[in-house]
Amino acid sequence: MRTTSKIAAVALGTTALVPFLGAGVAQAADGSTMATLRPVALNGVPANGTAMVTVTGNRINVTMAASGLLPDNPHAAHIHFGASARHECPTASDDTSGDGTLNTTEGGPAYGDIVVSLTKTGDTSPKSGLAVDRFDTAPGGKIQYERGSINVSSDVAQAIVDGKSVVVVHGVDHNNDGKYDGNTKSDLDPSLPTEATDPAICGVLAAAPAGGMDTGAGGTSDSSTGMLALGGGLLLAAAGTGTFTARKARNRA
Amino acid sequence: MAHLTRFGDRRGSIAAAVTVLLLLLGGGLVAKALTRPEAPAQPPAAEAVAPTTAPPVAPQATTPTTRPGAGPAKPSSASSPDFGPIMEPSPPVSLDIPSIGVGTKGIVDLALDKDGKLQAPTDFAKAGWYAAGPTPGEFGPAVIGAHVDSKSGPAVFYRLGALRKGAQVSVHRKDGSTARFVVDRVARYSKADFPTAMVYGDTKGRAELRLITCGGAFDHATGHYVDNIVAFAHLTS
Ligand SMILES: [Cu+2]
Repeated sequence: MRTTSKIAAVALGTTALVPFLGAGVAQAADGSTMATLRPVALNGVPANGTAMVTVTGNRINVTMAASGLLPDNPHAAHIHFGASARHECPTASDDTSGDGTLNTTEGGPAYGDIVVSLTKTGDTSPKSGLAVDRFDTAPGGKIQYERGSINVSSDVAQAIVDGKSVVVVHGVDHNNDGKYDGNTKSDLDPSLPTEATDPAICGVLAAAPAGGMDTGAGGTSDSSTGMLALGGGLLLAAAGTGTFTARKARNRA
Repeated sequence: MAHLTRFGDRRGSIAAAVTVLLLLLGGGLVAKALTRPEAPAQPPAAEAVAPTTAPPVAPQATTPTTRPGAGPAKPSSASSPDFGPIMEPSPPVSLDIPSIGVGTKGIVDLALDKDGKLQAPTDFAKAGWYAAGPTPGEFGPAVIGAHVDSKSGPAVFYRLGALRKGAQVSVHRKDGSTARFVVDRVARYSKADFPTAMVYGDTKGRAELRLITCGGAFDHATGHYVDNIVAFAHLTS
């Protein structure tokens, strides 16, 4: 008896705690997002990829694959967001300098600032945005990136879930000489050439479709049994009236 | 007496007419019932159990070395994971699933409606591809949906519920290449409790394909099936 009431008390206590635990865990909205990464306008990089970001509270998991990038050179990769940005990839009209290419700053009005640095190791904050020694170097032009439990602010988590953040992979070999060089300095870090930081591929992290699909009109859903029974009944009735008709005819004869 | 005979004659001809009518109606219904396709096949319930019980995200388990507070990451975590085959993007143009007799041409683009739900093709004879997602063969989950039936009979994915693990799925693409997938599992999920993250979310390092149609009971009040059948497949070449 005492044991039973103790168990009951524990059960009651647990039940009472659950709502509080639930409230503590659920912060930002959770969600799965995905971006198809496509060449940034004007910069002419023949690369493509996909990034998938799963948001769980204030943590995100990122997997990304890309190919066609300049091989064996570091490619800074970030999640960008700006509250006043357009939440999209830049277009040719963002080339405010008119030099025929887009640098990272020119893309700002489209995708905003760096909010997450997709480094392979260590810090992932915007401070690591140009930590070239910790980004993927794209052997064979390919990036295969996976990193879990990246901490983000609630605002950033919400922006990602809401489809307002943008994945950008940087590094453009404009003169096709196999390395980052040239006289134009990077708008982000004058010690680097602009080739090292210009945006190469880009994609908006869009929320996954909500729920399933309505893919049927029901034409094959009902069983044939009802139809068969009704049809059979009518045929039986026909046999009855048929007999009646036949008898009438016989009588007349 | 003449009066009675006429009455008897009229009764006879009415009975004859009724007989013909009953024969036509009854015969028609029986014929329709017999030629009518059976209700679409449903995948085994066991296939749905494993994935739904698995958590959609397992951050700690997949990349333990990047756990916060774990100290400096080990060098091994810096090496790239192996994602398996991945193709360049190219939109799908036709779909072949020999084991269930699907061979469909002219795949239409699908988009989300205002509630974020993936819209089905308007044409019951065509499959549709979620055009904002990866193309079949690219990294991530490419999604192709098609109707199980129209109001009058079977549609493109009528037999999707009969698809089984190990079956081959070929998607022919605009660039002339073919993305070849093998089916991992086929499961039925309630639309009311649809595993969105599992179907449309991170594919954990593979180029994958989702084939979606309807299943379960048909709700005449809403005009929709209550479940979805989802086939999960991954790219082999
Ligand atoms: Cu960036």
